[in-house]
Amino acid sequence: MTPGSPTEPVRRRRSTARHAAVLVGGAVFVMWAVATLTFFAIRLIPGDPAQAILGGPGSQASQEALDLVREEYGLDQPLVVQYLAMLGRLLTGDLGSSYALRVPVADLLAAQVGGTLLLAVLSLALAWMLALGLALWSTGRGRIAAAVGEGVELTAAALPHFWLAGVLIAVFSSGLGWLPPVATGTPAGLVLPVVTLAVPLAGFLAQVMRESLLDALEQPFVVSARARGESTAGVRLRHTIRHAALPGISLSGWALGWLLSGAVVVETIFAMPGLGRTLLQAVTLRDIPVVVGVVLFVALVYVVMTVVTDLVARVADPRLRQEGAR
Amino acid sequence: MRAAPVNRRPLGRSALIAAGLVSALALAGCQADEPQASDEPVEGGTLVYASGDAEPTCLDPHVGGNYPQALIAGQFLESLVSRDDSGEIIPWLAESWEASEDGLAWEFTLRDGVTFTDGTPLDAEAVKVNVEHLRDPATQSSTGYLAMGKVERVEVVDDLTARFVLTTPDSALLESLSQPWTAIQSPAGIARGLEENCEAPIGTGPFVVDEWVKQDRVMLVRNDEYSSPPADAGHEGPAYLEAIEWRFVPDAASRYAALQGGQVDVIDNPQPDTIAAAEESGNLTWLDAPRPGASNRIELNSGQAPFDDERVREAFIRAVQVDEGIDALFFGTAERSYSALSSVEALAYSDAARFEPDLERANELLDEAGWTERDADGTRLKDGQPLTLRFPVSTNQSIPAEQSLFEQVQATAKEAGFDVVIDLLDLSSWYGRLFANEYEIVSAPYTKVGPDVLRILYHSDSITPAPSGYFANLAQLDDPEVDALLTEAAAESDADARADLYEQAQQRILGGYYLLPLYDQQNSFLLDPSVRGARAMPTVSTPSFHDAWLAD
Repeated sequence: MTPGSPTEPVRRRRSTARHAAVLVGGAVFVMWAVATLTFFAIRLIPGDPAQAILGGPGSQASQEALDLVREEYGLDQPLVVQYLAMLGRLLTGDLGSSYALRVPVADLLAAQVGGTLLLAVLSLALAWMLALGLALWSTGRGRIAAAVGEGVELTAAALPHFWLAGVLIAVFSSGLGWLPPVATGTPAGLVLPVVTLAVPLAGFLAQVMRESLLDALEQPFVVSARARGESTAGVRLRHTIRHAALPGISLSGWALGWLLSGAVVVETIFAMPGLGRTLLQAVTLRDIPVVVGVVLFVALVYVVMTVVTDLVARVADPRLRQEGAR
Repeated sequence: MRAAPVNRRPLGRSALIAAGLVSALALAGCQADEPQASDEPVEGGTLVYASGDAEPTCLDPHVGGNYPQALIAGQFLESLVSRDDSGEIIPWLAESWEASEDGLAWEFTLRDGVTFTDGTPLDAEAVKVNVEHLRDPATQSSTGYLAMGKVERVEVVDDLTARFVLTTPDSALLESLSQPWTAIQSPAGIARGLEENCEAPIGTGPFVVDEWVKQDRVMLVRNDEYSSPPADAGHEGPAYLEAIEWRFVPDAASRYAALQGGQVDVIDNPQPDTIAAAEESGNLTWLDAPRPGASNRIELNSGQAPFDDERVREAFIRAVQVDEGIDALFFGTAERSYSALSSVEALAYSDAARFEPDLERANELLDEAGWTERDADGTRLKDGQPLTLRFPVSTNQSIPAEQSLFEQVQATAKEAGFDVVIDLLDLSSWYGRLFANEYEIVSAPYTKVGPDVLRILYHSDSITPAPSGYFANLAQLDDPEVDALLTEAAAESDADARADLYEQAQQRILGGYYLLPLYDQQNSFLLDPSVRGARAMPTVSTPSFHDAWLAD
């Protein structure tokens, strides 16, 4: 299945249909594996789901109440039966109901997904702008600029979200009073959360972009472009930026998933509603259907983004469209 | 939006508390306040409250029954009785009450003319439905269910008279009924079923649940027909505020920043350092409202070695030093306790001498108890077994300052040869350790109105786990004399005799070195100075905004 070397014969070429089938099959496998792992992993940590339903850990529920709940939610069944029941439900597209909130998981996710996706997409966009700007500025300008660029990238990539969020709140909310520390659905409230998520990501993206940019700048086509009389800026904008963007595009699928996990911290600190906080609360309460639902959703985003970035990369880089080449 | 702070003069702690309790009845000795120009309440406005407690999964405190539910339910639900600052039970939805000679029947006369916000009248039938709701396993009640443990049934005597029939006399009945977990809701609201009632319970309170946006906020709007404040309220009639926006802001630093920036008006669960900073700046009001029931304390598991030996228990308590740690880590916001009960409980008995640190004595006691060897790390040994104390700590319940304090406990206990192993755990895992008896010391809060909490925490019946695995007697104190005193106290209707029994019980509990009291269960609110008239209920210290208004 691994792409062969460019010298492999034509039979390596996969039809579009086969390519799609492999993608879909892979996606289904990933989703199944994720659901299975999550289902069993959450049972490895201590905590009784029946208690989660009855007012959280440490509840002093009566035997009758516990029995009633165990029966209602099928928790009295063997684990394998519960697992198969969950798979059966998932196959029909039913994510089940939250133990703690007593509402369908699908409704819960639908209500929270918008906020988190907006946060993730804005952060990704900002990270891209920062990364491209930094990479373009710091390459081909001599050692000092390269060193500065590298330093900034490494530092940014290493910043933990909770720390960065704390500093941003201290400076821009408590100190200068420009931006609210609690996001209340206003555009101003989104600024600090988006910056918190974007800066470390920009560090990562800029690192890989700068490397490919350096590669590209040494390519013969740069020399011929310059020979045709194009300016430095022209070369960068028209020719090398594509090369710089390529690994960034491939990374964006990963990055969106990474942003969703970063959302757990950022949503909690800035008190924004969203999937991250939903997940945190669900894990604390051992609300298994919600945990499985959120994790499946994030997995789905990863899978979809992998496919999309694969396609976008083919558009951006003509070499990928040629048979066998990869 | 935010006016200049009214008072930049640093105030003493007691003055600030008083300022917070602007109902001021306690101060003025029940005389009417002399109205000052600036103290005239202003109608209208929306108060923004930022809560650091977990967001409830159900707004009906009958279901489950935890503190986050109580915090918000107090805005829209009311109880039969309340408690005033001196600890006296006072009328609320019930105007008066009387117990029968044998203590097995209590008749409550309800306030006339009160209606729930759905228009249903408050009557004896409603009280009956509520008690049945609490006792029904399908309600999934835990706290309220326990509080009604001795109630067999409620009889409707007439429209406004409800008779509670008990299985055994219960001197804590009124205290149990003053809690938000037994608040009275509209029977029509309850009849809608668990799911719908969880979204927006219907009560008689000064505010009504308008909308609950999960993980974001609950919008509460004024009940314009409100007519049933508790007897110690500052005014009759509807609230001054038009609405309360109740937001969930889990991060302590963000919460404080939002208060400083004027984005919110009130926050709960401020960390000790921010309380100290707020006090220093002088432009925020600190409302210090310790919770009732038990103090925060370290329990020593006497059910197994090494703490089944009283000498080892005393040695631990003599070895550990917490005073400096409390001062430094809590920035002077927490006062050392020497009682099993919260300082808000009138019957709390303190014995400071019992907890005087004395390392020399601790070493003597351990030598006496046979822990004579030491290993390379200085940990004492007996028959080759190290003197290890497992200390599971719940990160949900112990704030960072408390976690640091436990490290000081660890360090000071080490000098006497104890090897304290602290384990930071999430709530479910923490309970898992307790249920499996995998602890020698533990600190667990317990909030309940009145000294009957002692029976829950130290009666040997509470060693037997509930069906869920839970047991409250974490010290595993098993003393027939303590049992007898607490049982007798719970059935004693004479106030003086009851107080005497509780004092004897506390002396015996403290005397057996089963616990190390630390401080009251901390519960604080920070308010923007424009918020006036807010107070903490003297029942379970939840905030009340019926008398609150926003000065501009």
